[in-house]
Amino acid sequence: MEKVVADPRPAKQPWNKSSKLASFTGGRGFADATLITLAFLLAAVVFGLLLSVLWSVVSAGAGAMSPQFLYQNNRYISTTTSLDYGGVGHAILGTLWLVLLATMVALPLGLAIAVYLTQSQSKLRNLVRSITQALAGLPSVVSGLFVLSIISFLGAQKSGIFGALALFPLMLPTVARVAEEALRLVPADLRLAALGLGAPNYRAFFQVILPAAKSGIITALLLGLARVVGETAPLILTIQANNGTNLNPFDGGVATLPTYIYGFISAGYASSITRAWGASLVLLILVGILFITARLLTADKKKKKAKK
Amino acid sequence: MTISPVAAELRSEDVSVWFGERQVLKDVNLTFRANRVTALIGPSGCGKSTFLRTLNRMHELIPSAGLAGSILLDGKDIYDPSVNPVDVRMEIGMVFQKPNPFPTMSIRDNVLSGLKLSGLRVDNKDELLETSLKRASIWNEVKDRLGEPATALSGGQQQRLCIARSLAMNPKVLLMDEPCSALDPGSTRRIEATIEELSESMTIVIVTHNMQQAQRVSHETAFFLADENTPGGVVEFGSTEQVFGQPIDERTNDYVNGHFG
Repeated sequence: MEKVVADPRPAKQPWNKSSKLASFTGGRGFADATLITLAFLLAAVVFGLLLSVLWSVVSAGAGAMSPQFLYQNNRYISTTTSLDYGGVGHAILGTLWLVLLATMVALPLGLAIAVYLTQSQSKLRNLVRSITQALAGLPSVVSGLFVLSIISFLGAQKSGIFGALALFPLMLPTVARVAEEALRLVPADLRLAALGLGAPNYRAFFQVILPAAKSGIITALLLGLARVVGETAPLILTIQANNGTNLNPFDGGVATLPTYIYGFISAGYASSITRAWGASLVLLILVGILFITARLLTADKKKKKAKK
Repeated sequence: MTISPVAAELRSEDVSVWFGERQVLKDVNLTFRANRVTALIGPSGCGKSTFLRTLNRMHELIPSAGLAGSILLDGKDIYDPSVNPVDVRMEIGMVFQKPNPFPTMSIRDNVLSGLKLSGLRVDNKDELLETSLKRASIWNEVKDRLGEPATALSGGQQQRLCIARSLAMNPKVLLMDEPCSALDPGSTRRIEATIEELSESMTIVIVTHNMQQAQRVSHETAFFLADENTPGGVVEFGSTEQVFGQPIDERTNDYVNGHFG
């Protein structure tokens, strides 16, 4: 006769995968089930909202989409012109150009703040960090108003450079904060190792710390770009509209995607509204590309760490 | 390139150390003779790692750190105002507790990183690379994968790579802060063998918590101790044989025989 031997393994715990459903009994099981259901429902609501926004932009904007919509400008186009003519090429260029101008100042300065916050021992660090955080809460319209007051104080004409100037303080805190995180994640060991080999501080920073934080700093840049690429209020206040392509930031109006959307949706004609939706779709894709790139870069870093 | 054996004598005179208001070391007088391996032993918190860091001016990187006394490298005070700490650290290399190769660099670039970081130029980099890796006895394991990232190596290999990285600077003195505490017995044995070979061309100071290791690798041993609320200091310093065999101080006897610590 076969002997029945007691299974030496511990009895299956109720939270084992196989018995997940079985665990939704009793007082604790009930609470567990309720919370899980609630979490799923809320996630579904958020996801649903996101999808509906995406869908409304895609469905309404698709009507305007065509190759010519992406590269032509709006010269000789009125709010009622057929969608077979004209496009947002000038606004795409304008947006990229203004954002690039803002980045040229915000990236080095944001990086400098991040370096200061992580590498220095100064007591002023907390003050600098607080100011940077406060700047992150600055409403974009206030930034626009501030620059507008500069324009009238100088007696200058609205132009692209002032738009870039209004975008800069919005971009700076994002770049500084994310870059600070990235630099903070670099192990202190590496700095010590570099200094121990006879490196001056600046070489240790540029050759060891900065390369180790590279992907995080690129992420900081992309998130900063994504933060300002869709900003409308500061641009409405600081630049003049333009139906043509103008890449001179010091003279004349310049079109950007957000101000284009604002202008054409306000016009109220069927074709102008479709144009605005089309431009929204282009803007959404632009932001999407930035976020996905940032995601891929950080995911790459995590994977490497896991391998280690 | 020939490695010229230029081991130097390192001597500490009345070294005291503070962190803020708290004194952690008092009047440490030790002489590390050229081409000898000296082990610093003692219970945790007795200041031996702190002392090690004063020997190549890594100590002053801690914001609140203070120091009195002098450290003489072949008779010259490394804390003299005219001396650049960067130059000190090139002559007195350091290997840390945890292997810390530069993750963004290849094996080859890690070994040669000291040159770039300190702005030195060398005629034959490949030769220096090979010599350094051979001296750290890791050449055979990595010679076919010099372009791979350093993080692809095992922990023990990474530590030997870090030793090779220090050796590429051709230091006169090598400081090792518990270099084997994160490693398996096999890797530990290999590093101990490396230490023995290296002592032919340099002076070595090693902090260790492992009594057997101190007995295996060192010629001389200094026993550090800090009583409660008093700064740490050297209780006994002598040949390893004597410190472990016939310790003069009773506290040394208790420690090396495992009665505390």
